[in-house]
Amino acid sequence: MNTLWSDAFKTLSKNKPALLSLFFIIFIILVALFANLLAPYGYEIQNPSQRLMFPNRTFWMGTDILGRDLLSRVIYGSRMSISVGLIVAICSLIVGTLYGSLSGYVGGKIDNLLMRIVDILYTFPSLLLIILIRVIFGQGLFGIFLALTIVGWVDVSRIVRGQVLQLKEMAFIEAARAVGVKNRFIIFKHILPNILGPIIVTLTFEIPAAILSESFLSFIGLGLQPPFSSWGSLANDGFQAFKSFPHLIIFPGFSIFLTVLAFNLLGDGLRDALDPKLKNA
Amino acid sequence: MKKIYGIILALIILVIAWNFFGPKKFHSHPEKEFRFVIASEPPTLDWSLATDNVSADILFNLMEGLIQFDSDLNVKPALAERWDISSDGKRYTFHLRSDALWTDGKPILASHFVDGWERLLNPKTASDYAYFLFDVKNAKEYNAGKLTDFDTVGIHAQDDHTLVVDLWHPASYFLKIPFFWVTFPIRKDIIEQFKDAWTDPKNIVTCGPFRLKEWKHDYSVTLEANPSYYGEKPKISTATAYIINEDSTALSLYDTNKVDLIRRIPPLLISHYKNLADYKNSPFLRGYYYGMNVKKKPFTDSRIRKAFSLAIDRSQLSTILQGNQIPTSSWIPKGMFGYDETIGLKFDKEKAQLLLAQAGYPKGEHFPSIKMVYDTRDDNKIIAEFLQSQWKEHLNVTVSIDNQEWKVHLKMLETNPPELWRLGWGADFPDPDNFMNLFTSYSGNNHTQWKNKEYDQLIEEAAKELDSQKRLTLYQKAQHLLTEEDVPIIPLFIDSQNVLLKSYVKGYTLNPMSNNILKNISISKND
Repeated sequence: MNTLWSDAFKTLSKNKPALLSLFFIIFIILVALFANLLAPYGYEIQNPSQRLMFPNRTFWMGTDILGRDLLSRVIYGSRMSISVGLIVAICSLIVGTLYGSLSGYVGGKIDNLLMRIVDILYTFPSLLLIILIRVIFGQGLFGIFLALTIVGWVDVSRIVRGQVLQLKEMAFIEAARAVGVKNRFIIFKHILPNILGPIIVTLTFEIPAAILSESFLSFIGLGLQPPFSSWGSLANDGFQAFKSFPHLIIFPGFSIFLTVLAFNLLGDGLRDALDPKLKNA
Repeated sequence: MKKIYGIILALIILVIAWNFFGPKKFHSHPEKEFRFVIASEPPTLDWSLATDNVSADILFNLMEGLIQFDSDLNVKPALAERWDISSDGKRYTFHLRSDALWTDGKPILASHFVDGWERLLNPKTASDYAYFLFDVKNAKEYNAGKLTDFDTVGIHAQDDHTLVVDLWHPASYFLKIPFFWVTFPIRKDIIEQFKDAWTDPKNIVTCGPFRLKEWKHDYSVTLEANPSYYGEKPKISTATAYIINEDSTALSLYDTNKVDLIRRIPPLLISHYKNLADYKNSPFLRGYYYGMNVKKKPFTDSRIRKAFSLAIDRSQLSTILQGNQIPTSSWIPKGMFGYDETIGLKFDKEKAQLLLAQAGYPKGEHFPSIKMVYDTRDDNKIIAEFLQSQWKEHLNVTVSIDNQEWKVHLKMLETNPPELWRLGWGADFPDPDNFMNLFTSYSGNNHTQWKNKEYDQLIEEAAKELDSQKRLTLYQKAQHLLTEEDVPIIPLFIDSQNVLLKSYVKGYTLNPMSNNILKNISISKND
């Protein structure tokens, strides 16, 4: 095991975009964690006499229509966006991994049934599904987590199932089964550790997908309600005036863009590092 | 495989090219078509039931009442060519024009007015605006179901073209009421024949300068000039109202010449458009307020209602909105008889905190979670966020925000109003009675659940009072009660009209009631 991970790290450290992305992500996560220390003002402190200012020395990113400091709002927004990204990705991962490995390992009719359910969810228009869940579970944070998780775990389960199918025909699994090791033990001790690489790679792709979805939802007004704001809802606020006050959409927009890009580059790098077979594919 | 991709790509390119270079059927703009924007689907075109200004934007062009206003709000003849008022001020006799016709060719008779007013007052109709006619003899009793014979109500057709109205008491504003859409005549036969579908374009029968040509739900309402209209025919042949909920979308349609008029500019953009020649700003008899449901905790306690009103620094609203809106803590709007800016709860943080503490929530501790609801609109959202932060900052109270579509919002206010909700009130006719009447216990538009006998009495007395000085004192007392003592509402500001109108449109007047009257419009694109 050790050699695989250290090899992977070596490959990753040679991949400059991925390494840079990793640092950027760590930076963003730190910003989100210490938002209350970093933000120069509160995210909801209004000062109408200083409304709609362009970026300047006091307000590095300018102010919005109610005179709120955009930098502070972007910093606090990172908290929302990143936590939605992480929580949704991890939830999708847990559900998807369990479902996928069960389906792949058991196989046969059950596999067939479980995968058809996945197919149905896959063909169902995800936006419609999300809106439906939001209507039922209300406008809170929980609704967003639930809605995005329900849409997100499907991909994971397919990838995991594929990996499991490949792995379960291997000699060492057969050997384990021949000795009489319990199925549960085989899945958790032998199969999952071996597909940890692809799972981590999937995770790094799920996070930006969740961030993007949340931003999109907030942008069309189905996301968080004020005074909470994510980058998506900030972009939505700024959208109507992008001709007169472009800073209102540029800063939150770039935050989304850079974060999603960083996660994707890191994901690519990790895939190259953990899955050498794909490296030159 | 690659061939298929090639074909698909070629198809996509073709479709895009067609969009760019194909026939421009969507972009043509015939000289005689006027295009404007309404903020939502009209909740109804049944004028006995309509309560909102979106429906009114259409109805004022489809129909006409006994009288109309000129741009200075003087009363002018419409379907009534003249009228007599008895010397005691209690009997109004309207003489109708004999040449006015419905769109199906039948003449307009006094009995159509009687039918319309009967329908409005009939308890089965359940119109929110029934109280508009409560000055009429026995009208209130008929509406309450105490009287079942409509002949006892003071509305009679003396002959085909003479309508006689008897009032309980002289009412100085009564002549202005029959401008309003709920008093328009109706065709009972049409309504009975088609039931709820009578407002469909193929069924509806109207008598205004325009008739309803098409109603594409949630997309547009199209009016066309009515050839059987008695007055001067409109100079435009069609007027199309596009239903666009987002102000910013409407604005981009205006910028790309797809509509000729928009009547609301998002606050974020107003400073940008203020310098254009197309921009017009004028006063508006319209109040913007948040109502409280006095039957729902914690607003059952008037001290809390007062605290919420006291904790708002309204002067900041004009900075935020930028459209010459006038912050106000009283209810009768500027430009109307009875306006008094000294009335109402002015911003006083200490007093607000003290009242909240007395009500059992010192420093806002343990304050129950409450919700404020507004109808989805860019400016409403900004104002809601402003209020939310004012209450948080000054009272340490957290209010969550929710929004919903206009039609849903109205329905919710009628059935189960939340703790705090947004609404505006525009003048239906230019008299303070129209504003103050709104919060009487019998008003169908009073969603606060607040019922106050003393207030009702003051309003009724003021309505009868012909001496303007005495009338003013009565309204002052009533305003004190409404905005200082019992406080079921939080008045925020008096709105203004912020309009963008293409320079080739002539004859559109902005009266202070913002009536969207299109019959005098002409379009000349050559200058």
